[in-house]
Amino acid sequence: MKESLLDIICCPLDKHDLELEVEDREDGEVLEGTLTCTDCGETYPIEDGIPNLLPPDMREEAPA
Amino acid sequence: MTDLAERRGTETTVYQPAEDSGLLAEAAIAEATGRVLEVGTGSGWVAERIAEADADGDLEVVASDVNPHACEQARERGLEVVRASLLDPFRDGVFDTVAFNPPYLPTDPDNEWDDWMEAALSGGRTGRELIEPFLDDVGRVLAPDGRVLLLVSSLTGYEAVIDRVEAAGFAHEVVREESYPFETLSILRLTRR
Repeated sequence: MKESLLDIICCPLDKHDLELEVEDREDGEVLEGTLTCTDCGETYPIEDGIPNLLPPDMREEAPA
Repeated sequence: MTDLAERRGTETTVYQPAEDSGLLAEAAIAEATGRVLEVGTGSGWVAERIAEADADGDLEVVASDVNPHACEQARERGLEVVRASLLDPFRDGVFDTVAFNPPYLPTDPDNEWDDWMEAALSGGRTGRELIEPFLDDVGRVLAPDGRVLLLVSSLTGYEAVIDRVEAAGFAHEVVREESYPFETLSILRLTRR
């Protein structure tokens, strides 16, 4: 994801801002990192450049 | 009878482009402006068509899906991808265009597969179980002059969808329509009334 995506995403639970922590960056894109809600503190992983913004109870790999 | 078993074919993880995708892409290429979100992008094909048709670079395209395999395929096309449930993690008023080809086939709960293809195709018992929460929330993420491009199948209950569109405060116009042996597909353009 590009850092500019922060302008359009928010915490899926309470719609507050997310804070980005970058672990791996390449060509201006964040490949690995964590997004943390500035209000409720819930964390959302960024893996292979894709932020997973599902609420925690939907995060399992199910339904498959 | 068009049912999930026929639609599924042999693909079990990610919905691949079909007639409905082509119709939505055509409408979106003509209608999209500004910042564009494609909800439930699947393989990412429609979002990629929109981005590629944008010769002037005026559009900013974002794609989302609940299915991790779909997110991976969409990202391989070079798209900006967010794994999301409908519109949940998007801010208020940020999109000029939202496009959605929803899972819309009415499905008997006793006859479901519980895999990702089912999530891509099944609209629950009524066929509208994803369309309804989408319509209830999409006004929130839309910019003041924004528009929604929603694919609706006759199998889903066209009139029932229109009722929900109106209840959500939108006016609608049919911008594309195609008839197939078992269903008619329409692309509605929704704007605030």
